[in-house]
Amino acid sequence: MEALAKTDFIAKEEQAAKPFVLWRPTAQTGLMSWLTTVDHKRIGLLYGASALFFLVVGGLEALFIRIQLAVPNNTFLSSAQYNEMFTMHATTMIFLVVMPLGAAFFNFIMPLQIGARDVAFPRLNAFSFWTFLVGAIILNIGWFRPDGAPDAGWFGYTPLTTRTYSPTHAVDMWVMGLQLLGVASIAAALNFIVTIINLRAPGMAMMRLPVFTWMTLVTSFLIILSFPAITIALVEIMMDRLFGTNFFEVSNGGMPILWQHLFWIFGHPEVYILILPAMGIISEILPTFARKPLFGYPIVVFSGASIGFLGFGVWSHHMFTTGMGTVATAAFALMTMAIAVPTGVKIFNWIGTLWGGHLTMRTPMMFALGFVWMFMIGGFSGIMHAAAPADLQQHGSYFIVAHFHYVLIGGSLFALLAGIQYWFPLMFGRRVSEFWGKTSFWVIFVGFNVTFFPMHFLGLEGMPRRTFTYDGNMGWNLGNFICTVGAFILGIGLAIYLIAMVYAYYKGPRSLKDPWDARTLEWSLPNPPPVYNFQVTPTIHARDSWWYEKQHADEIAKEEAEHAKAEDTHGGIHMPFQSIYPILAGLGILIGSIGVSVVDPADPTKYPGFWGPKIAVTIIGGAIMFVAVVLWSLEGNEGYHIHLNPDGSIKGDGAQKHY
Amino acid sequence: MSSQAAAATLDHHHDPTTSTGIPNKKLLMWAFLASDCMFFGCLISTHLIYRLHPPPGTPIARQVFSIELTSFSTFILLMSSLMMALAVNAIQKGNLKSMRWSLLTTIFFGCIFLGCQVFEFNTFVHEKHLTITNSILGTTFFTLTGTHGLHVLIGVIWLSGMLLYSFTGNLTQKDAIDVESMGLYWHFVDIVWIVIFTAVYLLEYI
Amino acid sequence: MSASDSASAVHDPVQSLVQSKFWIFVQIAMLLAVITGLELVTVYLPFMKWLLVGVLVVLSAVKFMFVIFYFMHLRWDKALCTILFFIGLVLASGTMWALLKLFGADASKPLTMALADRPVAVRIVS
Repeated sequence: MEALAKTDFIAKEEQAAKPFVLWRPTAQTGLMSWLTTVDHKRIGLLYGASALFFLVVGGLEALFIRIQLAVPNNTFLSSAQYNEMFTMHATTMIFLVVMPLGAAFFNFIMPLQIGARDVAFPRLNAFSFWTFLVGAIILNIGWFRPDGAPDAGWFGYTPLTTRTYSPTHAVDMWVMGLQLLGVASIAAALNFIVTIINLRAPGMAMMRLPVFTWMTLVTSFLIILSFPAITIALVEIMMDRLFGTNFFEVSNGGMPILWQHLFWIFGHPEVYILILPAMGIISEILPTFARKPLFGYPIVVFSGASIGFLGFGVWSHHMFTTGMGTVATAAFALMTMAIAVPTGVKIFNWIGTLWGGHLTMRTPMMFALGFVWMFMIGGFSGIMHAAAPADLQQHGSYFIVAHFHYVLIGGSLFALLAGIQYWFPLMFGRRVSEFWGKTSFWVIFVGFNVTFFPMHFLGLEGMPRRTFTYDGNMGWNLGNFICTVGAFILGIGLAIYLIAMVYAYYKGPRSLKDPWDARTLEWSLPNPPPVYNFQVTPTIHARDSWWYEKQHADEIAKEEAEHAKAEDTHGGIHMPFQSIYPILAGLGILIGSIGVSVVDPADPTKYPGFWGPKIAVTIIGGAIMFVAVVLWSLEGNEGYHIHLNPDGSIKGDGAQKHY
Repeated sequence: MSSQAAAATLDHHHDPTTSTGIPNKKLLMWAFLASDCMFFGCLISTHLIYRLHPPPGTPIARQVFSIELTSFSTFILLMSSLMMALAVNAIQKGNLKSMRWSLLTTIFFGCIFLGCQVFEFNTFVHEKHLTITNSILGTTFFTLTGTHGLHVLIGVIWLSGMLLYSFTGNLTQKDAIDVESMGLYWHFVDIVWIVIFTAVYLLEYI
Repeated sequence: MSASDSASAVHDPVQSLVQSKFWIFVQIAMLLAVITGLELVTVYLPFMKWLLVGVLVVLSAVKFMFVIFYFMHLRWDKALCTILFFIGLVLASGTMWALLKLFGADASKPLTMALADRPVAVRIVS
């Protein structure tokens, strides 16, 4: 209680009125309220909506790829278009779908699970989202430009990405877009780390955190520690492209292999960034629908953390074919095999959770069970690659494509789809049709396996990755045709899923509070959660805290009534002001990035000397960003107080008066 | 309000509003610095990797570098770190005047460091003919030290902003955490230079 | 405002710790300057290369630690800050070490140099 009495916001009580430039937006509804929001739930929804939009975009790109490969010597796409498709499909799905869907849940669910009213730095959180969106725009702007979309693969291997071999701006956009997505991810991850460590409700010890929150923490650490590697790699390639430096320029002593190392120092932790949130979601869903606590909670947490740690020591298993020498190859092979151990431990814990439980087969549970099975298949083919001699055979073949789609779709995406179904009633207060949910699951499940299982065989038969077409006499015709049919089934399944979800958002039946009879704290809230989250800051008594509260309702009600009174006398609930500056900073970054990556360098005959449109646009963007950041820091992290009626509605007119 | 706060003792190492007692801003800064370790780690690695096998025709680094100048700027940066620590010390005591002088000296030293770097780069390019494009040594050296210099520049701008802000009267003992987290950043820039000084400059002389 | 702030509570134990830090900081700054001088001398000493490199690494690590534990307050802060920073520091150092090992290995030598190390006969054949 002492904690609530002394927020540092109260300290600024007697400040003079702000000058007019520090204008505070107060809109509660409409476009402006979304553009200036600092509410973690709204930011979570913005992430989710963008991710689902890009899921459709990336899915269409995948279908184009499959149409092209359906029959031998197809001419549906040209080879150049095919390169754009597979590059953008991978980049979109990884950075613009799976990561932001994870971020959507981090934002929306994690603060609710720890009993916080918002993240530690609400405006920084908004900034992360807008920067993410700017990065997404820069990545995709090439579709509407004569340069075309990026076409050098999601890994951007040098020397293919150097100016000699990729002279257009397409690769510049890829570099800049990825750089911004990195900045956005790091800013968001720092925020989540501070939030989880520092904003836990009283009694929420680290070993009482829900597993999803634990995995958010581990993922955030992976993000802040792995993204700097690609930041450096991207800076180096950008210097090469813009200023003619020699990092990857072989003729002047550069080593393209360095790019591969730096990229995979980032790239391998990145795959755990994609899968750990999924594991967290599954660790929430299985106990809820098995009606048992998670089996071996400390082991699940510990293995999650050790996956994160070991994930930094295995990057070179992507490079077994580059000839690193026997010692390095053996060391990385061993580390890779070691990392399978904590992953396997988790699988056993999930099975232990299911064992003897009262399984309720609802849509989220179906996806979660599908995840466990499909992720295991992906894991098995993954451990095969750990053996370097086997990897030499599989490297760069469709076997790899099969493997990572099993872990990314059968793993990450299944879990994220399960998470959407699971938390949908909490987020929107409506239920998704059980029939259409289950139908979509079965169609997705069948379509997914029909698409990707044959790819194992295609790979072992020698079909190379990234090939835009193939001859009819290679023996790959049937496999490819089946894959394409499967891709369309998968597409139909996802369409059913999304349509059922959108329908439920508008017309679905109202959901009761806590419809799944769940265990973690977020379900103690009415749905959708009010803007202030918790009417009274909860006190945590046990690991599955909401389950405990349901068993001890009287005791908790008494405790809450006392705390409510105390909080009200301390000045009510503190809410942060909305702010215009995060999106303004994002706008500056957008303009600056367009200057760096899209605008042509000055024609020396037209613009002699230093100045030209490229420099001008970049500087204008940078200046807007700088001004926004300065005003942002001058405006300060103040807020206003609200008082609640016993039913949870806000007392008075809810006007945001500076106290 | 501010006079009450000044009368009561402020414990700058414990914040009762957070679960751990560590202020949010401090935790954010330490997590960011952990991330920045990786950032500079990769950048310094790049430089050292290319120094392992310099291609034929690479300029001899020892003949390009001026160890006297670099030692001087290293010393200056260390002293700026001292002044930064004193500034944090002063604001924690609520001694605004002392903080301003310490900050001003920090900024001054930071500018001297930047000036040395500009002079160094200028000499390298025009007299020693080491440019960012003509050799791999130039590429990695200028990128690494330039990125560090950019960090120093950001630090100087941040420090100057804080110094100006202190004259608005809104910066008090309670806001010591703002100065402290800025200080953490500045010290980090210093320790990165400690590593660069050894790894990039001194090792060339052995 | 500054006058009233500075005048208050000088005798408080926390305040006197703050007061005493002034001299700690000054002493450490002197120490850092001296170590920098030592490093500078070290490079000109006529000893084995590995020894000098070892000495330089140790000296700069000492400087590094003094700055983070004193100037950056880790010594007086909660252990969590130290842990947080060392996660990054250890991973970064480990990655640097691994990268240097990888690129220092024979298999990573550029072909021109690897050939130059071999006997002339081999060079002619290849």
